[in-house]
Amino acid sequence: MKKNIIIITFILFTSAVVFTGCKKDKDNGPAERSISFHLHTVVGNTVANYTSVFTDATGRSFTLSDCRYYISNIVFIKDDGTELPMTGKVLLANPATMKYEIGKVPVGKYKGFRFLFGLDSVTNHADPATYPSTSPLSYQNPNIHWGWNTGYIFMKLEGKVDSTAAANGTPDFDFYYHLGLDQMKRTIDFSTTAFEVTSTEDMELGIVFDLKKVLNGVNIPQENFTHTMDNMPLANKIVNNIPAAFEIE
Amino acid sequence: MSNKITGVLSIIIFVIISSILITSCRKDDAIDTGNEILELQVPTGFPYPDIPEDNQPTKNRIALGKKLFFDPILSRDSTISCASCHHEDKKMTDGLPVSQGIDGRHVLRNAMTVLNTAYQPNMFWDGGSPTLEQQVVAPIESHEEMDFNVLKVVERLKNHPEYPELFLKAYNLEPSPYTLTRAIANFERTLFTGKSKYDEYQYDKNMNALSESEKRGMDLFFGERAECFHCHGGFNFTDFSFKNNGLYLVYADSGRARITTLHSDVGKFKVPSLRNVALTAPYMHDGSMATLEEVVEHYSSGGKPHFNKSFLIQPLNLTQQEKTDLINFMKALTDL
Repeated sequence: MKKNIIIITFILFTSAVVFTGCKKDKDNGPAERSISFHLHTVVGNTVANYTSVFTDATGRSFTLSDCRYYISNIVFIKDDGTELPMTGKVLLANPATMKYEIGKVPVGKYKGFRFLFGLDSVTNHADPATYPSTSPLSYQNPNIHWGWNTGYIFMKLEGKVDSTAAANGTPDFDFYYHLGLDQMKRTIDFSTTAFEVTSTEDMELGIVFDLKKVLNGVNIPQENFTHTMDNMPLANKIVNNIPAAFEIE
Repeated sequence: MSNKITGVLSIIIFVIISSILITSCRKDDAIDTGNEILELQVPTGFPYPDIPEDNQPTKNRIALGKKLFFDPILSRDSTISCASCHHEDKKMTDGLPVSQGIDGRHVLRNAMTVLNTAYQPNMFWDGGSPTLEQQVVAPIESHEEMDFNVLKVVERLKNHPEYPELFLKAYNLEPSPYTLTRAIANFERTLFTGKSKYDEYQYDKNMNALSESEKRGMDLFFGERAECFHCHGGFNFTDFSFKNNGLYLVYADSGRARITTLHSDVGKFKVPSLRNVALTAPYMHDGSMATLEEVVEHYSSGGKPHFNKSFLIQPLNLTQQEKTDLINFMKALTDL
């Protein structure tokens, strides 16, 4: 009887070790790799910055003093169509930062991905004070959140523009575009941009965001400001340019 | 035998000493009640307000919030505090048509009272802010009010000789946007008003508290003749809704529509409480009416035919006596 118990215990113990071992083998495999966006905020062919003078599509010169925008709700689509939402991952993009860590994804082939320019309505109306200071959703300086309607500014684009009629002067006139409100979010769809995550290296997806395209059709000196609500037509005009301003690099 | 006595004696002594020790311990605990959750003293007839789980009132939190409320440290040039536009002697309003912020800049709207704000389901004339906590940042970062940044305020508070310790005592955390907004909201939730002649009549059943004219005004107010109560009903004399009261044909300030973007919300503003209304002139979202007489005249006329005007605003054609009675009743809503 005692012998039996010992044998049974031995078997249980051994199988437990074996099972655990199996699991470990699987975990140890290079099943996942980090994935990042390599995001270039550009004006035409030049990477955006806060010192250079750029020109818009009509040749009018302008400078930038603030350019930040939210990217959220990133979803990777696996080859079999399964969607991998990167829940809770939010980026506050700016020209000086190019690499944005998204998270870890399984090795394999992907059909594509998509993300949101801006924030979903739940995130948009949460209290920024409840996030740790390292979060892009915490209060920022300069601010990127509207206290008066408790929503985030999805994109803040500010600078100076040449105000001369002939567009032959230097940037001297303020412009500021603050785009927000739930309805200003846009889905940026790269669902047919196939890529593969291999076990040998981390994945970086190259994306370009072209401010020249964002400002396409905007007469900057004439249409020099919107806080969205106070100039809805201009806000809509700019936001409607945004999906086409994102491209795969 | 003597051993036994010694034994009993030592037990008695032990019990006495330990009870003294325990009592003194208890006393020590009782001295610091700063972090005990308090029950707010709400006026008679008022419900107990909903208070967020993470910001229950304590003595330390209220004291910290009060200090911050009166401290111009919140503004860019340290000249404007919350109290700059919410004066205690004017029932937490400022007596101006629209408030004056930093560098003499004019704020968009008339300062609303902070009294009974614990009951507001949302903040501001347009309801743009969903909680008292989140509301705190708006005036700090508004260009026309304090023109500052909440992170810069926090930096100042962290370097202040007193605040870090007060924050630690109140929230066991350092100054941050979280603790700053919690503290001010915590204090604001303790500001009640609800002890007027009307309350003496209504809740204390003192039938002599109101004069005959005030009683006639009350009947007009709550009756179908003037129908004020449809919007200004309930313990706080507001239903907290947004209404267009036909003030203008074209609104310079779109009101609630600024938040919702809906055409059907243009010119709608939060129905304000009428408690202490005699002390909170001027009136309307833009402070465009200086006296209660003007206000009553407006409602008696039925207002302007704006497409969003509430169907409740209809010409009343009140007599002079009715107008006087109505105003006298409103004056009886002033705290004693």
